[in-house]
Amino acid sequence: MKYDFLDSALLSKLGSLPVEARTPMLGNVAGKHRSPHRGSSVEFAEYRKYVAGDDTRRLDWKAYARSDRYYIKEFEADTNLRAYFVVDTSGSMAFSGKAESKIQYARKIASSLAYLLVNQGDAAGLSVCTDKLHLEVPPSRRPAHLDRLFSTLGALEPSGETGLVPALHTIAEKIGQRAVIVILSDLFTDPAELADALQHLRYRKHDVCVFHLLDPQEIAFEFDRPHRFIDLEDGTVLVAEPNLIAEEYHIALREFLTKVRDVCHDANASYQLVTTDTPLEELLRGFLMSRLSKRKH
Amino acid sequence: MSFLQPLLLWGLLAASIPVIIHLLNKRRHKTIKWAAMQFLLKATRESRGKKRLRHILILTCRALGLAALAFAAARPIVSGLLGWGNGHVDVVVLLLDRSTSMEAKPGDGYESRRKVVVEKVRDTLKDLGGARLVLIDSATGQAQDVPSPDALTELSATDATDTAADIPAMTTKAAEFLSETPGRSEVWIATDLQASNWKADDERWAAARASLAALPQKPSIRILGLTGATAPNASLRLVSTQRSGDQLMLDLEITRAEDARGTANLPLTVNLNGSRSTEGLTISGQSLRFQKRITLPAGSETGHGWLSIPADGNERDNAAFFAYGPTRPIKSIVVAASGEAGGYLQLSAAPPGFGNQSVTRLDPAKAATLATSDTAFVVWAAPLPTGATADVLQAFLSSGGQVLFVPPGQGAETTFLGLKWSAPSEAAAGKFFILKDWNHEDGPLRDGLDGTQLPAERLRAIKRQIPIGDAAPLARWDDAEPFLVRRIVERGTAWFAGSLPDYTWSNLGDADVLLPMVQRLVMIGADRFDASYLSAVGSEDSRLLPGETRTRLDDYGSPDPANAAYEAGVFRLGDRLLALNHPASEDTPEIVGKDGLDTSLNGTGYTLFEQAGKASDGAVSKDAWRAFLIAMLFFLISEAVLCLPKKTTESSLPTRQGNPQPAI
Repeated sequence: MKYDFLDSALLSKLGSLPVEARTPMLGNVAGKHRSPHRGSSVEFAEYRKYVAGDDTRRLDWKAYARSDRYYIKEFEADTNLRAYFVVDTSGSMAFSGKAESKIQYARKIASSLAYLLVNQGDAAGLSVCTDKLHLEVPPSRRPAHLDRLFSTLGALEPSGETGLVPALHTIAEKIGQRAVIVILSDLFTDPAELADALQHLRYRKHDVCVFHLLDPQEIAFEFDRPHRFIDLEDGTVLVAEPNLIAEEYHIALREFLTKVRDVCHDANASYQLVTTDTPLEELLRGFLMSRLSKRKH
Repeated sequence: MSFLQPLLLWGLLAASIPVIIHLLNKRRHKTIKWAAMQFLLKATRESRGKKRLRHILILTCRALGLAALAFAAARPIVSGLLGWGNGHVDVVVLLLDRSTSMEAKPGDGYESRRKVVVEKVRDTLKDLGGARLVLIDSATGQAQDVPSPDALTELSATDATDTAADIPAMTTKAAEFLSETPGRSEVWIATDLQASNWKADDERWAAARASLAALPQKPSIRILGLTGATAPNASLRLVSTQRSGDQLMLDLEITRAEDARGTANLPLTVNLNGSRSTEGLTISGQSLRFQKRITLPAGSETGHGWLSIPADGNERDNAAFFAYGPTRPIKSIVVAASGEAGGYLQLSAAPPGFGNQSVTRLDPAKAATLATSDTAFVVWAAPLPTGATADVLQAFLSSGGQVLFVPPGQGAETTFLGLKWSAPSEAAAGKFFILKDWNHEDGPLRDGLDGTQLPAERLRAIKRQIPIGDAAPLARWDDAEPFLVRRIVERGTAWFAGSLPDYTWSNLGDADVLLPMVQRLVMIGADRFDASYLSAVGSEDSRLLPGETRTRLDDYGSPDPANAAYEAGVFRLGDRLLALNHPASEDTPEIVGKDGLDTSLNGTGYTLFEQAGKASDGAVSKDAWRAFLIAMLFFLISEAVLCLPKKTTESSLPTRQGNPQPAI
């Protein structure tokens, strides 16, 4: 693959795991995902061969009578998933401390999940946001769409201050049908404003997943000498002796993380604090598995 | 504060190293582009207060720790002797009191005060380093250079002696020495502050002060006073000796310390010409005055010996030495007309049975022929002498003779020694002049050694003459007129008694008063011949005359031949036989008070370091580097404690995953 943020071996390993939504989806195309609709208005879509484990109530006996073979009826009641990957490309996402940069890690998550989604017949889209820029790649389930998505991801250059909250509001207004909104950001914004945006998305019945990306050094804050810190977003300069202010830094960080987590929980968004040194396979497998186990039959 | 290594004080500049490193570190910061700026700004705002203080404390501890190390390395000296703030000293003149009293020990098992002070001075000078040391000791009175502090304890000039000290003379000597020695100097006076040695009222102190004030660079005067309690001590002193035939009478006194109480039993060892015997003495109270009669070997012309009590708090005052010569008859002359008075006076001057006492009567008309060369005592019962006779008598008195003047029977204006007789006076009819008042401790009417007083109140007189003039009254009649007066003339004494042993005058002839009075005066007069065998160490008599050599004759103790001139003992000085004892003043315990010191050293700005107590009270100077080393450790430990990192709070960060129940 020509994109360095894609790991084909990983994708092969994760290929058997579906990407599922936590809430019922609405879609025009038959898919794996539950539809909120039930009843006779649902039309027959297609046959497929019976495999061990399929629900026997779906066996089409007329097809058996005709062919002496077992076939399962696929109805329109099984519909497709639409996912939007909201990637924060503010300047702070360019930080790379002990591990790779947050933006690169976000690329990996977004591209891997998008690939899995499209591969299973679902649609994936991209929303890139800064305070000055809001770029969208509408979701599509065509394999060729992935290339466009990946190239957009690859071209991302973090800069400026964060525009995540306005982007989330825009998405909440724009997207008519329920979708999975995957937020990939360090969330360095006002938690109250973030709460508003997430509540907006919740109101629109979207399934929101928040990957809160932080570099391990941003959490540990371990330095051996005075440093001159330059803000990646607005260029603010501060000379400080880290070992003298470490305690207060950790308290402030802890307060922030607690607030953000609570905000996400209150908005019914799934929240995951991820350090960029976390193995991607471990992260994605855990994410996919956690969604798989929540499905009700 | 002085420093042994002052150059190392440049190390104090190292105290600025932590601050410089801190400032350099602030400049040598690494630049990093940072994302989580909001937490950084908040942390910086909140840590401004106490963190800054903590950081300042850390820097301060580091700087002070290095400063303390620099001080310790420079070896500071803190001492009462050297004082605070003293700079470099070029010359130290040590005036060392080597008198007998300096051999007193602070306690049993301790060294003598002299040894203690010499060692302390040695140790102090070793700490001081580089100063020239000059010693002036009380025995020789001479200034000598001491090559090094260690040599101080080895010099014979610091050894014990049996002499007294003359502090004003030593101080003057120090000033004379310093007048020829440029540079910054100090004079250290090491003494036990005994008043008899210090002589606070001596007029020579004025000259000493003037000499010191005249120096181009006034020296610092420091008195090392070794006072305080001493180990129990008793001193033995020989007051006088008198030979009478084959008997030698020793007048002795044992003195105990001022705080001595109760009764003490002391063995007294007597050594006579090598033969030794011991007897016990019981002393109640502070002192005991007694006479020891020693029977001399038959036919012994000259001899010597010593008496001693056991060694105690001062080993130099436990022995008394004596020597004797051939028996000398005691001659007296009575210048009186024949008659009752003359007869009684002769009887009293040489009573029958007193074998070696003889008396000659000289008629007053032949008084001009008076010859007193081998006479101990003269009674002058005649008009006061004039002219050549007066000169003879005066010379006799000056050489130590005793003269008793009794009333001539008529008044006259003739004076002798500024004294004259009043006209005779008679008591009222039926009444007497009665002796009312007399000196019980001094003079020929004093009480006996056992305290028995003379029955002087029995003296009754009908007629009397009053001695008029400048003389000390020793007895008075009941009407307060003097009966007995004394006038000291150089080594001798003139006595005036106001009545006669004649029945028409008084009952002096009853011998109650006359006999003891006259006999005592005869003994005093005779003493000048026996006294030629007894003297004090350091006196004029003890010095060698040209051509004489000094040979020690007794076998007491362990004499030091190098120190012989300053030790007690029996010596032959040329042809002279002399028993030398420590001066009596060394047995007096009085010390000079602050007033006395102020008077004698007024204007010199002296400092007194009084070391009262045991010898092991510590060095006169104290090396203070240990204190600074401990301070350095304290500062560094404090800095380490302040630098201890606080516990991190990573474990309380929110969990990574938090997926609430999805809502449908």
